Amino acid sequence: MSSLDARLGVLRGTTPPIPHNARTLAALTANPSCDRRSLLDAAGIDKDALAAHLDLPRPLRKSQLALDYGIAFERKVTAQAGAPLVPLLRQALGLTLPEVSYEDVNSVGSDDDKSSPQLRHARTRSLILSAAHRRSDPRTLLDHPVLRLTVAGHQAYLEPDVLAFQRDGVFHVVEIKSFPVIHGQPDPIKATAALTQAAAYVLALRELLADDGLPPDRVSDTVILVNPRNFTRHPTATPFSAHKQIKNLSRHLGRLRRLPELLDKLPPATTFDLAPGPDQKPTRPRNELVAALATVRPHYTPGCRHHCDLAFHCRTEARNQGRTAALGTAVRDDLAGIDTIATALDLTDGRMHPSRDKQDITQALRHAQRIHADLQQDTA
Amino acid sequence: MDEHLVALEKRMQQLQEALRQALTQHDSAQVNVLGEELTRTRHAWNVLCGLSDVPDTAQPEVQPEARPEPALAVVEPNQGVPVRDQVHQALALLTVPASPKLLSQVHEAFFSSPLNTARMTTLRRDEERSFRSAPYGRAYYICPALTSDLLSPARALLALSTWPLEQRLVGPLTQRVHFLTSALRLADAAEHLAGEAGMPQPVQQLLLHYSRNIHGDTPRGPLDLDALRRAAAAELEIHADNDADTRAEAAQRARQQLGDAEQIFGNILRNTARMHRTS
Repeated sequence: MSSLDARLGVLRGTTPPIPHNARTLAALTANPSCDRRSLLDAAGIDKDALAAHLDLPRPLRKSQLALDYGIAFERKVTAQAGAPLVPLLRQALGLTLPEVSYEDVNSVGSDDDKSSPQLRHARTRSLILSAAHRRSDPRTLLDHPVLRLTVAGHQAYLEPDVLAFQRDGVFHVVEIKSFPVIHGQPDPIKATAALTQAAAYVLALRELLADDGLPPDRVSDTVILVNPRNFTRHPTATPFSAHKQIKNLSRHLGRLRRLPELLDKLPPATTFDLAPGPDQKPTRPRNELVAALATVRPHYTPGCRHHCDLAFHCRTEARNQGRTAALGTAVRDDLAGIDTIATALDLTDGRMHPSRDKQDITQALRHAQRIHADLQQDTA
Repeated sequence: MDEHLVALEKRMQQLQEALRQALTQHDSAQVNVLGEELTRTRHAWNVLCGLSDVPDTAQPEVQPEARPEPALAVVEPNQGVPVRDQVHQALALLTVPASPKLLSQVHEAFFSSPLNTARMTTLRRDEERSFRSAPYGRAYYICPALTSDLLSPARALLALSTWPLEQRLVGPLTQRVHFLTSALRLADAAEHLAGEAGMPQPVQQLLLHYSRNIHGDTPRGPLDLDALRRAAAAELEIHADNDADTRAEAAQRARQQLGDAEQIFGNILRNTARMHRTS
């Protein structure tokens, strides 16, 4: 165990770590400059349990019904060796008739529903490498392979829905999602989220190939999304370029390597351990936890509520400290360099002298205040 | 008595979960089957608890109207047939290993009632246990198909032990071959059935599903059995030789390496490190 692991282990306490997955990686790109989240995620801390212990309102969860529907759709598409998928991929990727081979990596060496990720990863690796080096027959479809991505020096196991491999071509990531594509158009927000998730798989697959000396362009930037067509339950496949998402994600992963710096800034003996008692109920005093959280700089944006369990904590904190971020990203960006609302007001009223780099923004603030005052006079 | 109650409670929970899944998949036939079994199980639980002491006899009278299926469902030929024999019927028709879901669909289409898919997992384990305690005691066993490379049981694929090894092995191309073969078999069976009085709805749906996945996107229209058969046979020819080679090689390997029970139920990968520690 490296010293980094040991230090992260101290932060986490006695509970086992929660590994990264494609969703947490996608959340990472949504707010990359949040030190608090990067640190908690890297240490594998259960943010949900933390939020529950702090009595925070929880973000909305996907309903069980929606999850079941998603699973049912995925089963339908991959049933009978991906029979519904084959004609779709023939159209989308130009697969030839003989390219139908199928390998189920859900379980290895037994008929359980799922084997351990380590075993499935080893199997995936050998299947992919033998296909890439053409030592075996082509592997056209891999059902639920397990890939590994290095995130901040840790190994995270990722599970794409399907990987497609063309004999003379490249690997494509196929992602099965249950939101509909209506007249060829999916919901753009959901499609982007799916592509960000797929970007993690593309990077993981490139990492696997690179370990064996194969170039990254063997994995295509184009991701195939399989969705229900219009208002039916029949699948349709649409190719999307995930180039932007892949670039974004790999840049953010690169920045995560600065974890040691973040750890150095923490006061000694900081920990987010919930200290669960014998009945698994957390016993750590709440004010201690809040103080520990305060040692790591957050980067709150109102959008955090959609993907972070601690969003409400960070919001309360930003409001209490009068931070401009609490007013939204637009205000924060306009007032770049001014952290708190109080400073901004002081500069506007002239109670505080602007330093040289803040003269522009102070003028803008005063101008805004004049307009505001004029408007109030007019209406009065 | 307690352990029986616990077992029943577990069973009810399993059934409820399966029922919820069937509901989200809009599989109304499966919902009916599971619902009935859940009622029976709950009744048994009530009786065991002493909440109601009437044995379960008054129940079947609701059944005839609960099944609005035409033609074939008038007589219930499968009412007393155990799941094991129903699976055998469907597999014998398909002649290839198949998933519980497909078996249930086929059984519904051709033998009038869907199967309880939740029961098939336990069925497979029971069969293996029975074989190991008294080898070859039964005429046939419901067993898993075997993967061609590791010779281990394939997930969610059931087969018959009376089939030769080659027929029970599954290589990379085999599942597509099975898909096409079963399309041919079902088309023949459907034609046979249609000779009497039109094709029943479930059969049509099943074949439409096949036709859509072989031709790609076809416009909605009457089902063309000949076109389906031609397309399936043409694609089958492309894969058949390659697949037969893989399976023959694997079958030879299996005969050399595996014992009797493993040749039927497969070789399960075990954690060797753990085995050393316990032995």
